[in-house]
Amino acid sequence: MEAGQEPPFAATGAPVLQHSRFHRLSDRWAHLAFLACSLLVVGLIGGILFFLASRGLAAFWPVAGNTGRTLSLSEVFLSTDWAPSSDHFGIVPFIAGSLGVTGLALLIAAPAGILTGVFIAKLAPTWMRNLMRQVMDLLVGIPSVVYGIFGLTVVLPFVSGTWLAEAPASGFAVAALILAVMIVPTIVSLSTDAFESLPTSLDEGAQALGSSRWQAIWHVLIPAARPRLLTAAVLGLGRAIGEAMAVQMVIGNNPQWMALMRESTDRAPFLRALFTPAATLTTELVQELPNTPAGSPWNNVLFAMGLLLYLLTMVLILATRRLGRGKEA
Amino acid sequence: MTPVLTFRRSRTSKFVDRLMRGVLWGLAILFVLVLVVFVGAILKQGWPVLNLGFLTKMPETLDAGGGIKPQIFNSLYLVVLSLGLSLPVGLGAGVYMAEYAGKGRMLNFLRLCIETLAATPSIVLALFGMIVFVQAMGWSFSIRSGALTLALLNIPVITRVTEVSLLAVPRELKEASYGLGATKLQTILKVTLPYAATGILTGLVLTAGRAFGESAILVFTAGTNASAHFPDFRLTVPGETLSVHLWYVTSDGTLPDAREIAAGTAAVVILVLLTLNLLVRLVDRAIRRRTRSGLFST
Repeated sequence: MEAGQEPPFAATGAPVLQHSRFHRLSDRWAHLAFLACSLLVVGLIGGILFFLASRGLAAFWPVAGNTGRTLSLSEVFLSTDWAPSSDHFGIVPFIAGSLGVTGLALLIAAPAGILTGVFIAKLAPTWMRNLMRQVMDLLVGIPSVVYGIFGLTVVLPFVSGTWLAEAPASGFAVAALILAVMIVPTIVSLSTDAFESLPTSLDEGAQALGSSRWQAIWHVLIPAARPRLLTAAVLGLGRAIGEAMAVQMVIGNNPQWMALMRESTDRAPFLRALFTPAATLTTELVQELPNTPAGSPWNNVLFAMGLLLYLLTMVLILATRRLGRGKEA
Repeated sequence: MTPVLTFRRSRTSKFVDRLMRGVLWGLAILFVLVLVVFVGAILKQGWPVLNLGFLTKMPETLDAGGGIKPQIFNSLYLVVLSLGLSLPVGLGAGVYMAEYAGKGRMLNFLRLCIETLAATPSIVLALFGMIVFVQAMGWSFSIRSGALTLALLNIPVITRVTEVSLLAVPRELKEASYGLGATKLQTILKVTLPYAATGILTGLVLTAGRAFGESAILVFTAGTNASAHFPDFRLTVPGETLSVHLWYVTSDGTLPDAREIAAGTAAVVILVLLTLNLLVRLVDRAIRRRTRSGLFST
């Protein structure tokens, strides 16, 4: 290299020295191979959408391979009547079930997770911080079937014995509790990051103005971290709404739960609802998909439910993007 | 207009401060207890069942006393296969994002795709695998359908770990390599990737743990039966794993000792994952000692 020449830095990656033909070619081909790997991921996103749509939308359009009648959108998305054997395909109970159990889980997990996050980031001594990190890492690593079996063999019998509910006590309450524990690590880790990335001047300023530790957290830190806390909650929501096995094992799998509740004349309907066996989009897929013949309206509607879950995931991810844009102001 | 905050140090505010500190400590301790009770209960239930016979016997279909030998094999086999399938793609995509994409629209879009794939519920991946591999390819419930679909679960995690580990490599190292006349590929293969290798390896172990515990995907792609031969390396036979077995015996209910089998299987799963976690921690500590920045920042 001649003196005074610009060094060949990584910014361009362009070598100034003459490389052998082999090296130049392999460099170019490697670039293409790495690009291909990335494009494969992009293709997967589209591929999943395409294949789920091809089966899910077949419920509403006469497509080759369909063995039954074509359904109308309203009888699927606006009806609470799910009785595939007598030709009723309303999926409202599953949508409501998914939203209900996810909402409940988030109601527990979001405040608990955010408070634990602020605790880890701002209050805990180092040993406690390390301990909490390990606890959350372990909780997130436990498979959903093991959560399910814990719910089935420990939580359900425990709840069944109390005044809360008669046996078997399966339903929204226990499912939401299990789900809450499953999504708490996600919310904790993201909100810990959120609080740790806040400038310390915020904290110090508040305390200089005479605030107590808690006042600083409540009036300054939490509002300042809000966009990222919301992102954490949304990602927790995404995890909860897609969870299948754990929920399926404890929720009781009753597609007619809405009808059951309408008929009940209980004095405490809310409490009753919490302990009524129910079903969600994911649990119904696990429960029924293996038993339905391909191409039947029943099978197609189940794939439509899967498509709905996938679209929901995309919406949630885009929502976190939108939330994230307003963050570091 | 910015709101002006005033804080009053009253007796109440002091009391609230104390109270809330107590609540936060309580909450944190509660989570520690939840984990302890959880793992304790699973191990306690499974302990009486765990013995050499349980681990080395074939499962029964109708009678009590079956083992989980083929399920252990299938779990390991599927983890290895799916990692083998997803590692090249995940590595490649991670390298592209960290080294080639540059900052801008392309990188943003790729990140969005990776995030979406990572957030896609496993039941949705299961449906995709069922449509494409089980039905369209005509592979039915088999090891190959399961391994390919499971790979979809691993890819975003490996990509992310690779990207993060590569971005942590000091710029000076790469510059020195270019300065010595290395091409970009040579720099990546001989400098950047080796430097990031421990980080990527840690991520791989975590991915393996996730794949090991996965059930929803495999119920719909690898099936709920295990081959009667052992060890059966064929890719065309159904391959029920430990997690799937655990779910299947519980919900199927034809085994008289389903409870015990499920409890024992759950204990095995938890023990394997605890071991993996310990392994990751040891590796991470080794990295920290060498580079003063571990993987466990999140």
